[in-house]
Amino acid sequence: MEQIIEVSSLEKTFGNQPALIDVSFNVRKGEIFGFLGPSGSGKTTTIKILTGQLSATAGQVNVFGVSTEKMKKEHHRKIGILSDNSGLYGRLTIEENLKLFCDLYDEPVERIDEVLDMVNLKGEKKKIVSKLSKGMTQRILLARAFLHQPELLFLDEPTSALDPVNTKHIYNGLEKLRAEGTTIFLTTHDMHEAEVLCDHIAFLNEGRIQLLDTPRALRQKFSEPTLTVETTDGKKVVVSKGPDGAETMKELMLQNRVASVYSNEPTLGDIFINVTGRKLA
Amino acid sequence: MTFSWKRSYAIARKDFKDISKNLYVSPMFIFPPLLAALYSRMGLDSLFGTYFVFIMAFTMVGTFMQSALIAEEKEKHTLRVLMLSPASAFDIVGGKSLLSIVMTTVIIIVSAFFLEYHPANLSVVSLGILLSIILYVGLGTIMGLLTKSVVEASIGIMPVMLLFMGLPFLTSFTEKYPFLSIIEFMPHNLLLSIAENSEATFVNSIGELVGLLLWSVVIHIVVFMLYKKRLKD
Repeated sequence: MEQIIEVSSLEKTFGNQPALIDVSFNVRKGEIFGFLGPSGSGKTTTIKILTGQLSATAGQVNVFGVSTEKMKKEHHRKIGILSDNSGLYGRLTIEENLKLFCDLYDEPVERIDEVLDMVNLKGEKKKIVSKLSKGMTQRILLARAFLHQPELLFLDEPTSALDPVNTKHIYNGLEKLRAEGTTIFLTTHDMHEAEVLCDHIAFLNEGRIQLLDTPRALRQKFSEPTLTVETTDGKKVVVSKGPDGAETMKELMLQNRVASVYSNEPTLGDIFINVTGRKLA
Repeated sequence: MTFSWKRSYAIARKDFKDISKNLYVSPMFIFPPLLAALYSRMGLDSLFGTYFVFIMAFTMVGTFMQSALIAEEKEKHTLRVLMLSPASAFDIVGGKSLLSIVMTTVIIIVSAFFLEYHPANLSVVSLGILLSIILYVGLGTIMGLLTKSVVEASIGIMPVMLLFMGLPFLTSFTEKYPFLSIIEFMPHNLLLSIAENSEATFVNSIGELVGLLLWSVVIHIVVFMLYKKRLKD
């Protein structure tokens, strides 16, 4: 499958301080790639290098098959970015903000209603941006990021500051974009978000990728070889997944005492702590 | 590098909508016409006084407003968004400069109306003024790109404004302090030379016009160098 992002042995240092150390990964066309790590782990630095805002100290970084050092406007046309460095014009309305970007990206103004619908803000376009809540502002930034139907979308914590209803609305929108073939590079602290949306996940800690795989493969890799059975009298019985546990399970089932069975698969948060010794938040 | 009028105009149109609500910049529009009106009521109609008002408009409207507009884009992280869009450096700098150029031109015309200034050599003087506006707006772009916030730009612009508004007063000291003769090559002096020559034509003012053009070109070379530097963190 076509690789949209190819990163090989990427290094970045600020003065003597290493920010990224031997980072390598690929992102395939049409997938949602999750980049997970605590604050200061190098996520934003990676996005800046991938979008040509920052030069790498060493290594090879290609986006759309072109080195990010040689990216041209035609490449930027295919990229959408939402980051903590994205701003809006506070004195203008939502519509006036998006109209500017329709003109810059040669998109018809009808696209404004489409993207506002996607972020659940249809009918709000006459509102002045400076008077919007943080959550609404975040949704406008998102709407602007995919206004021009980019082939590659960089989203830095896209659902931070959003309530569950709007978060769900955004998830649906992102899944729709993926179905249309948009590649999404997503950084998040939210393990549930990573689990729900991402095809591949990289755990970044202190500038290094510690793990990289699909969420399912990661959970399986770190799962216990046991099941926990909750009995009808509220007790928890841990049984082996192998032949040893079959007898215990059979006995509990014959006694009609099984209330629930848990797979003992760790959450992505558990795996992150296990690997790095750090929490994500 | 390409130039798209559509993109440039879109940026300028956004600025036109924005400026009417920008209480930080708009009061600057008042001072040059106010001074012009005062001069007129006091009966001061010297060429030096007229051009002092014009230089005030160049610096207070052209340079200050432009630096504030660029600095605000940086402060709000919108300049970065524009830089990452398909708009080229020419589109962005051109679009961002258009409002300042138009507003400075309008303020000059209003001030000239109050001063009842009717130069005999209108076309040459107009070209000189237009080149001056472009170079002073370019200076504002440099100040905006060098600073991180509107407040920083407002403080940073003060010495520049004082320097350019104070330079005309130093001309009389050039005999006593020869090193000040460099003032002859400063933009305000080149413009004043054109204005003082009531029989100025494009041919006999070519030196001054080329001088102003060179100033404008050099300033904009610096603008694009700084812009390129700002593309990378």
